[in-house]
Amino acid sequence: MSQSSVRPLDLIGIGTIGLRSRPGRTALTAIGIAIGIASMVAVLGISSSSKANLIAEIDSLGTNLLQVQGGQSVLGESSPLPVSSQAMVDRIPTVTDSASVIQIATKVQRNRFEDEPNGLSVLAVGRGANKTLELEAASGKLIEGETASLPVAVLGSVAAERLGISRVADGVTVSIAGHNFAVVGILKPLTLNPDLDRSVMIGDWAAFDLLGVDANPSTIYLRVRPERIEATRPLLARTANPKAPNEVSVSRPSDALEARAKVDKGLQQLLLGLGGVALVVGGVGVANVMVISVLERRGEIGLRRALGAKRGHIRSQFVIEAATLAGIGGLIGAVLGSAVTWAYATRQGWLVDIPVTGLAYGVGGALLIGAIAGLYPASKAARLDPAEAVRPHA
Amino acid sequence: MSVLRLERVCRYYESTPPVKALHEVDLEIEAGEMLAIVGPSGSGKSTLLNVMGTLDRPTSGRVWVDGEETSDMSDGALSGLRSSQLGFVFQGFHLMETVGIVDNVATGLLYQAVPKRQRRDRAAAALTKVGLGDRLDARPTQLSGGQRQRVAIARAIVADPALVLADEPTGNLDSSTSRDIMELFANLNQAGATIVVITHDNELADQLPRTVAMSDGQIVADRVKAISQAAGGVS
Ligand SMILES: Nc1ncnc2c1ncn2[C@@H]1O[C@H](COP(=O)(O)OP(=O)(O)OP(=O)(O)O)[C@@H](O)[C@H]1O
Ligand SMILES: [Mg+2]
Repeated sequence: MSQSSVRPLDLIGIGTIGLRSRPGRTALTAIGIAIGIASMVAVLGISSSSKANLIAEIDSLGTNLLQVQGGQSVLGESSPLPVSSQAMVDRIPTVTDSASVIQIATKVQRNRFEDEPNGLSVLAVGRGANKTLELEAASGKLIEGETASLPVAVLGSVAAERLGISRVADGVTVSIAGHNFAVVGILKPLTLNPDLDRSVMIGDWAAFDLLGVDANPSTIYLRVRPERIEATRPLLARTANPKAPNEVSVSRPSDALEARAKVDKGLQQLLLGLGGVALVVGGVGVANVMVISVLERRGEIGLRRALGAKRGHIRSQFVIEAATLAGIGGLIGAVLGSAVTWAYATRQGWLVDIPVTGLAYGVGGALLIGAIAGLYPASKAARLDPAEAVRPHA
Repeated sequence: MSVLRLERVCRYYESTPPVKALHEVDLEIEAGEMLAIVGPSGSGKSTLLNVMGTLDRPTSGRVWVDGEETSDMSDGALSGLRSSQLGFVFQGFHLMETVGIVDNVATGLLYQAVPKRQRRDRAAAALTKVGLGDRLDARPTQLSGGQRQRVAIARAIVADPALVLADEPTGNLDSSTSRDIMELFANLNQAGATIVVITHDNELADQLPRTVAMSDGQIVADRVKAISQAAGGVS
């Protein structure tokens, strides 16, 4: 005797008829799952939108800025770059701009009588710094050409604040190693190089002539043709300091920022956790409704058994029904979550970045939760004694 | 070869007190027969029908359906037997109210993996046989009780089963509608269907060619009328 069998597509039809005939109950039950999925999608969407936004911002600043630093020798002595290093690096064809910066071991104060530590550094900057670092003056002007040999200083945004100088005016000076330097400019904040915000820059010739500073650069900043960044990077250490390439460190300031863009995980995980709790509660709701449904539909189950449904067919019917029920919730949740992401990101003026894989995982996860929630009621339905199920209920 | 054969079938419930719902029942039904099962409430009529239809397994004894012995069959094999060889009609109609009557009847072929088009075509033909050929677009909620039971009967015969089993199909119907339904069964029987009908109504039962009377789980009478089936029409 041949066993009974159902076409796969029909199994889906059978598995959804219960939902179609009780639309109100279906909608109410799906809400729990929808809320869980919506909150997870929104959390992921909002954080990835904010990240996308930050990365776009970084991109607009230029991810092609590289930084070559003298480091420390194996013995722990500081090892500055050779005097010729900027000229050497400039010879690499993919390098479009460069600037050398010398960290001067001295302090900067408002006047020579003050001695409070202020955490500010003094840098001697050479030609090309304005372009390479994209320096812009918030007030005053930059050090350029001839002024590099005069006793003038440009303040980083934080440095200006700490020194109590809010704008450039005649007669405003700072004291560096006992010399007065006229403040000619205050810089806008530098997103890519926040360290420079805490520095006071003077021209390199002024540093050599007035302060007797060595000409060895501490750092060389350079701009590289954007499509050649990865190819150029490995050449830099050897070019800048051929005698001790492993004492040179090469980095890309935008990398540090992008890494920071990924760090705000704590809140995100808390919210995801709450979404997960909502999902579990939603899943329990589905299981509950399915248990009730199986009790109510004893007669239908008996009839299907009489028409030839195997136990497995009944089990599949209710598992599919539960999964579909939760899947509907998942779909609604994905749409809701995307809408919330869109609304929030738009309000913030961000790029909208809805994580498509997140949506797929959300709906898939909802289906899975539904199937799991349906397992117990479905096996109850499948185990119903058919003779018992077809008896008219008293 | 008989369509159905029961041999010393017992169905005991181990409830408190234990119930012998069927006790050593022997019964044989030939193809083309139509018979009524009568008896007081609790005499074991439904239990007998469920055992005949393999919905229930006997505590002891053997059941043959269409020549096949069923006691060693798996759930899957019994389900296959029910889907192809047995048709059921119950007192409650068990119709899906949210779909049309053609789809309701087509459910009778669902578990034989018949393609949907073919299911619906055969369902429409079965509905025509039970006199609802002009109501194919209706939903169950738009039909009277008698018409709904006709839909359920169409569902029971749509797969051309060897045996149709009806448990009090007229229990929810008024007496004139009940007569119409019994007439429908008689017509289907004349067209070749083998039919077993449980009824409380002795008057209806008396009009059938064969009547099996139950009492306390046993068959107490099995009368075959002398009249020919052709003359045994119900009016
Ligand atoms: N699951 C069960 N557990 C215990 N006893 C049962 C069970 N099912 C049926 N019975 C008993 O078996 C006996 C036969 O029941 P059955 O339903 O076959 O009678 P019936 O002739 O169909 O009655 P009715 O005319 O009221 O439908 C009754 O005494 C009934 O109480
Ligand atoms: Mg009964």
